Amino acid sequence: MFVLNFFNMSANYKNIIAIIIVSSTIGFIYNSLNPKGIPLIKEKRILIFEEEQSEITDSDLTDTPVTERNEIEEQIIAPSEGNIIKEEIPNAVREFTKPVAIRLSRAYQLYNQGVIFIDSRSKEEYADGHIKGAINIPFYESEKYEDVLNKIDKNEIIVTYCSGEDCDTSILHGDELFEKGYKRVYIFHGGWDDWLETGYPVESKL
Amino acid sequence: MKKLLLNSYLLFFFRIALGFLFIYAGAEKISDPAGFSLSISNYKLLPIYMINFFAISMPWIEIVAGILLVFGIAVKENAFILNTMLIVFIFAISISLARGLSIDCGCFGKGNQIGIQKLIENSLMFFAGVLLIMFDSKILALKNNHSE
Repeated sequence: MFVLNFFNMSANYKNIIAIIIVSSTIGFIYNSLNPKGIPLIKEKRILIFEEEQSEITDSDLTDTPVTERNEIEEQIIAPSEGNIIKEEIPNAVREFTKPVAIRLSRAYQLYNQGVIFIDSRSKEEYADGHIKGAINIPFYESEKYEDVLNKIDKNEIIVTYCSGEDCDTSILHGDELFEKGYKRVYIFHGGWDDWLETGYPVESKL
Repeated sequence: MKKLLLNSYLLFFFRIALGFLFIYAGAEKISDPAGFSLSISNYKLLPIYMINFFAISMPWIEIVAGILLVFGIAVKENAFILNTMLIVFIFAISISLARGLSIDCGCFGKGNQIGIQKLIENSLMFFAGVLLIMFDSKILALKNNHSE
């Protein structure tokens, strides 16, 4: 351990290795026992783009009568902790098992339908300019925006976006909203950059 | 003499602070393994098959080293471990900032965006760690393996 010798230190590298090995072992054991444990090899978070999901179309979503939709939702959400037969679930929510990624053209289409856009970027970025009518819920402080979020009905179609293709907050936010029970979450992959470049309606204030 | 005393209390403070910070950081990560795994992957620095190994083991190394620091056991060794991690963190954050990534830090669970502030925090902790490695801290130590 020349680094330690360099500082004229007497640290024992065997102890260092022992501490690391012991703690890692605890970690792996804990993880295998933890119900929230994660697999040893990570599965990739793959963005599923809408066009890649052949059987899902927008009409499937929007044309379903609201009442019917609500019933389906309740069936899925309410007894999720009970002993329901698991096979029923995939049929009922055959669309949106995960937030769906979309690109600019689709985003604009949804925009014209009056769908709610959520801006996951920071307050400052939002103030500088955002998609017209978008609601700002910065992902990094989303806890503070609970009341804003609560005004949105869980059955609403939501589009999340952030600065562009390289940012991930829209994806994380989409996942978070999805977990909270919003079942129609789109992630606008191109985000603010694409939107601005195309010259679609924007506004800057607040 | 007085200066020396002051100095050793300062080191004691650093030891306790560093220890508790890492215990807290580790606990936050352990409470949400999937989230931490995602945080690591967002840095886009590690191959995907390695991410979860770090996500599983790292929080526990943080906690164990933190606890040992607080109790004053093998202070130099644990400070060295934490400093090694801090170097990795500092590099990871710097690279990500340079690449213009706007991602969650994953430092203390969710809710910290990477930025200059994180770099400063980490550097301060690193500095405290270096002092501990160099001078040790024996106040209220449960046991010391290698006192001269």
